[in-house]
Amino acid sequence: MNRHRILGLSALVVIAIGLYFGSQAPLDQLQGEYTRIMYVHVPSAWLAYLSFLVTLVASILWLTKRRLVFDRVAESSVSIGVFFTALALMTGMIWGYPVWGTFWDWGDARMMTTALMFFVYVGYLALRRSIPDPAMRATRSAVLGIVAFFLVPLSYLSVLIVRTLHQGITVARPDSPIDGEILLALLSNVGAFTVVYLTFMSLKTAIARGEEELEEQSAAVDATPAGAAITAPNLEKVRDV
Amino acid sequence: MTGPSFWGQAYEIGRKDMRVEGRSGEVLNITIPFGAVALLLIPLAIGIDRPLIASVGPGMFWVVTLLFGMLVTFRHSATETVANREMMVLLGMDPAAQFVGRVSASFLLLLVFEGVLAPLTIVLYNPDPVSGWPVLLVVLLLMAIGLALIGTLASGITSGLRSRNTLAPLLVAPLSLPLLVGASQTYEALSQESSILTPILLLVAVVLGLAVVGVLTARFLEEASR
Repeated sequence: MNRHRILGLSALVVIAIGLYFGSQAPLDQLQGEYTRIMYVHVPSAWLAYLSFLVTLVASILWLTKRRLVFDRVAESSVSIGVFFTALALMTGMIWGYPVWGTFWDWGDARMMTTALMFFVYVGYLALRRSIPDPAMRATRSAVLGIVAFFLVPLSYLSVLIVRTLHQGITVARPDSPIDGEILLALLSNVGAFTVVYLTFMSLKTAIARGEEELEEQSAAVDATPAGAAITAPNLEKVRDV
Repeated sequence: MTGPSFWGQAYEIGRKDMRVEGRSGEVLNITIPFGAVALLLIPLAIGIDRPLIASVGPGMFWVVTLLFGMLVTFRHSATETVANREMMVLLGMDPAAQFVGRVSASFLLLLVFEGVLAPLTIVLYNPDPVSGWPVLLVVLLLMAIGLALIGTLASGITSGLRSRNTLAPLLVAPLSLPLLVGASQTYEALSQESSILTPILLLVAVVLGLAVVGVLTARFLEEASR
């Protein structure tokens, strides 16, 4: 069994475990069943932050070590991070409508900063598409991968910096008021999503490697060999004369 | 014989950028009037509600500074060609010094931009006066430095690309969020007479972080632009 299948099967198992704990956890008195959206929303947001952190590290490593594997990791992690950011935003809006009475609340700094973080990393992917040269693409996107990370701590800490509607930092607080069963459901889903992230990363980096090989092959086929304009002398004709 | 020092090189680049601006007058003749037009159009779009216009005025000023200020920082990416960049390399110019020089020129031009549009905003929107206005001058300075840093970095990242004109604003607008949050939160804190420490610290941290990243990555961006 190859690495992708092992990771894929592990992801299915841990998602099942996460779903079980999520369905068994007690409901919030006011939010009712909508509480369960948190078991997708919170892990998605955490995974988005993790993805962009991996991109930051891989970008620094590309600039210092110049090994294409780091560029592949950075790009793959951004693609997955953008997906998780979109998932966090969507689940947040789905939860917001019944609980806050609106899909989008301008008083929520976390929502706003996360949406802008999403657009910066969409810009990262757009930048990569507009540069054909692999080394130039890797270097420029590495710099952007470092600069863009400024928005990640800002998004996380926005609930402290700006007066906002969003719930403050809860799980990471030393005096966390969160119920034990809810915390277990939340952490099991964070774990499950992390395995899903690793599975996606494994597949995406393999695809990126395949794409690079394909690019190299087509470049080799398209390239005109040196001296192609000079044809070999037709010696048989010379002999006939 | 040795060439000019790091700061000497940065000074020459900044002076060159200012001279180009002096000849073209792009910021003074085009970008500043464009920003002023935007400030005039916004009240027409939201309706003639004087208390509302007064309350949104400071926010509109920051948004116009951000959106039109990025045009100020992109102006040199359009004039710089591959030949210019190669000449800089042949002359042995330090990429970090070039970055500092460009940021300095953009910073000065952004200060002019803010210096014209801030009084205009006060005249047009008549915002509620706040105590501690010298703090706002510090915020204007920090906003100009931060925007100059982000714009110069984005120009370097997108230089020479066909999609530069659309891609660079897409990168700069969301990246300027910490500056916008810091500036608007400082104004809000001043108007409510609460602590301004957190937003000012945010602005300072972002400016310092961007300056460090910009100087450290200048060499890589210079390599990737050839």
